[in-house]
Amino acid sequence: MTTDKCTNVTEKCADTKENCDNMVDISISKDVLVIGAGSFGLEAAGKIAAQGYSVSVIGVKTACARQSGCTSKMLETGKVNIMQDVAIDSLAGVTGDFRATLIKNAGNGAEYSEKVEKVFGAIVVAPQYSYSTLNKKYGLTLNDKVVSQSQFEAMIADPESQKKILNGVNGNGSTVAFLTGFAQEGDPTSTSRVLTSALAVQNMENCNAYIYAGNVKVGAKGLERLFTQGRHAGVVCFKPSQMPTIEQNLNDGVNTVKITIKDPVVRTDVELTPDYVVVEEAVVVGQQNLDIASTLRIDTDLYGFLPSNNVHRFPAKSNRDGIFVVNNSLDAANAALKLKELIGNGIKRVAANKAKVDEDRCVICLTCYRSCPHGAIFWQNGAAAISPAACQGCGICASECPMDAIQLGDFTDDSLRTSIKDAVVSAKDNQKDGQPLIVAFCCKNSALEACEAATKFGHEMPQGFRMVKVPCAGKVDVEFIMKAFVEGADGVMVAACHEGNCKAERGNIYAKWRVNEIQKRLEKMGLEKNRLIFTTIASNMAKEFAGKVNAFAAAIK
Amino acid sequence: MNNQTKKVLILGGGIAGLTAAWELSRQNISVELVEKSCFLGGHAIGFTCKATDKCQQCGACSVEDMLKNVVNEPLINVHLRTEIKELKKSSQFNITLTKSDIELPDSQIKNLPSGKAAKGFSKYNNPLYVTESDKDKMGSSCEITADAVIVATGYSPFDPNRKSTYGYGKWKNVITGLDLENIIRENGSLVRPSDGQKPQKVAFIQCVGSRDERLGNLWCSEVCCPYAMRMAGTVKHDNPNAEITMFYIDIQNSGKEFPVFYEKIKQNIRFVRTIPVDIYPLENNGLELRHMAEEEGSPSSESFDLVVLSVGIMPGKDSSKLSAITGIPVNQDGFLDNEITCCSCSSSAKSTQTSQPITSSQSASSIAGLFVAGTAKGPAGIASSMADAGKTAFEAMKYLGVMK
Repeated sequence: MTTDKCTNVTEKCADTKENCDNMVDISISKDVLVIGAGSFGLEAAGKIAAQGYSVSVIGVKTACARQSGCTSKMLETGKVNIMQDVAIDSLAGVTGDFRATLIKNAGNGAEYSEKVEKVFGAIVVAPQYSYSTLNKKYGLTLNDKVVSQSQFEAMIADPESQKKILNGVNGNGSTVAFLTGFAQEGDPTSTSRVLTSALAVQNMENCNAYIYAGNVKVGAKGLERLFTQGRHAGVVCFKPSQMPTIEQNLNDGVNTVKITIKDPVVRTDVELTPDYVVVEEAVVVGQQNLDIASTLRIDTDLYGFLPSNNVHRFPAKSNRDGIFVVNNSLDAANAALKLKELIGNGIKRVAANKAKVDEDRCVICLTCYRSCPHGAIFWQNGAAAISPAACQGCGICASECPMDAIQLGDFTDDSLRTSIKDAVVSAKDNQKDGQPLIVAFCCKNSALEACEAATKFGHEMPQGFRMVKVPCAGKVDVEFIMKAFVEGADGVMVAACHEGNCKAERGNIYAKWRVNEIQKRLEKMGLEKNRLIFTTIASNMAKEFAGKVNAFAAAIK
Repeated sequence: MNNQTKKVLILGGGIAGLTAAWELSRQNISVELVEKSCFLGGHAIGFTCKATDKCQQCGACSVEDMLKNVVNEPLINVHLRTEIKELKKSSQFNITLTKSDIELPDSQIKNLPSGKAAKGFSKYNNPLYVTESDKDKMGSSCEITADAVIVATGYSPFDPNRKSTYGYGKWKNVITGLDLENIIRENGSLVRPSDGQKPQKVAFIQCVGSRDERLGNLWCSEVCCPYAMRMAGTVKHDNPNAEITMFYIDIQNSGKEFPVFYEKIKQNIRFVRTIPVDIYPLENNGLELRHMAEEEGSPSSESFDLVVLSVGIMPGKDSSKLSAITGIPVNQDGFLDNEITCCSCSSSAKSTQTSQPITSSQSASSIAGLFVAGTAKGPAGIASSMADAGKTAFEAMKYLGVMK
């Protein structure tokens, strides 16, 4: 099993022999916490428990999860414990050793609550979202004729209500209009629900379905076929460029809705007064999910959905090692895989010296704790400490620390100073007359790859160009940039990942700030600020990288 | 617990095959990764980064990452320019591999000082440059055994020649989305094939081959809308004066945060809901595109410097051959599909009773231990292919008893 563990860190081992000797075995708790007892939360719980880990699930089981029937089978294994009235109150610790405080009898106006602390090796969040009907955006009031998509689905599933639709007002069927894609963009799931319901209506005798859609979101398996099937069955789909004109009349016991659009083909108004109007629903984030995200210190996307929209996290990972997010069945399997890779048999071998805090210098100002994108920092013995398991070695904390108390194992400040000096010396040796001497700080995740590829592909760059490898642009200190100038660079470039693509989430943003600050200082000192630039690049942009270096060289010549 | 004795054969070295191989190797399972072309990475390794200053979540960099993982992993043994000839199941799978006679497309052949050679898109493609003589040496013809097989042979892009009125191959400045990716990878920005200049007026035509009932292609390719919109954003970022028009049926989502992305892109790009009729050449290699304008309700035409056809995801050209070799059935759309249809937790089971897949008799014959991942079984983007490959690796490990 030791060889197994070592493959997890082969990159390190291959780099330097010393690092291999500097490995430590840390123990990882084999208990896993799953937050959210919806169907995907339970699916993940089942898959994880099957690997021999014991799983605690907290949250209220949803109707869908109860129906799926997998819970009783799971409970028999004795490896899954579902606690419906428990919520997470706070979280300390790091991957492998999370300390969660759980509250019993949470919510529901419970009179007493009981807090327990429990250790977990990893955490899976399966967010549960609710629906809200978008009738207001259409100017509609809900009633027995104007219903939400969920309500309508319940109606056609219920024989009594279905009969009512079938009979219509005077025994000869109903007309049902579906409104979708005007109050929100919509997605394949909402489209699928509309298409399924519309087809069901159309298949009822004398009933007709009309769909008013913005964009028909058929971008998922089987939906274009379902859409075609509906049209062949007689479902009419209008796609006006704007929201239809909707007039709801509720006066004097009348209950009608008139929908009007301008048909672009026949160029006349098309009016419809359907018997039923079905309104689309939006998925709502809810305060509960935001609270969970902030308790766990994991990022959400723009709308509050988990996880953040960073391609490097996909699938199922969050910005914190050991915390996973499951939103569907694919995520559940992927989370189980990654969790097994993380926990293994409970012992993990990691590099011991990714980042170290000098306890004498640390004043516990919490700057590192706040700036660490991976939640890897905690405190012990009156100083900050960095978990070797959770640390990703980006170096943002080391650059931000006002006391210079943090050093990275692979990129110490001294070694970076040496790299800068060596880069300038080597550039001077090769520099051609009249060509500027350029030092580029290249993030190892993006710009370094692009730069190496540019060299390998033979894209031309100035002879006086040299790059300095950094673990993340977030580790490019003000001091290093100034040092490059002092050593004799004519121009300095800081090349980071694109915004939103940083493996350390915000390393590129820190770098950009620092570059802006130094540019201001250069200006004050009467120097040209364009001798320092910040740029973003991806690992596969070799040609663009060369282009940027050449353009920079031309600009500062 | 010694997984090392387990071995999985993966057919296809695109993003799905790479991801599956990597996930298997994480659990100490050895992998024979078979790729019929001379390079790893499939279609996706040729894709360009679609970031403006901000990442647009296209996932192209993930392919680069995964390729790097795989080529540095000793548990994964790569066979380039090799394909499957025969597969037999006893207690294990016995597979006969043969050297493929695949030729590199012209777009990947470059004239280098050392002579004619083919070029990969990534520095992790080994070998990076393939000379004609190297190519003759590449390829494995051998017999191997494996405990499970994952088919990740990917898709074939729609052949734009089947839409003859668009003049692909006749007019130089009518290109496909894949051509566009390659042009940007080669040049660092978008230039016209005819004169190497940056085009000012660019049109994207969506659903070329997808959502086409006449062709019998009743599926949305899922990737073209996100792809074209991101690409349009990149082109506009590189050349703010460019005027970009997208001709479409329905705009499909690009993933999380789509509404914000769409609102923003609408400010820069003109969207016209119609599918153009045909394209004619103009002087100076310009193009006239005729379409029925929805708003005006009458035929209209417009000239462009460059037209990009968003060709759809079609079943892999080899899928019927692979189906014959492996016994994995193809579904009604022609994609490989070995999943037994099960309707779990479906509230709409009643209303969908009429739409049963027609291959049920075949799926009964599917062999345990054979899995399909990625676009071999239907349209998917990079992120979805990776997630699917992870799940497929999980299923394969369950079959092997490595995962429970």
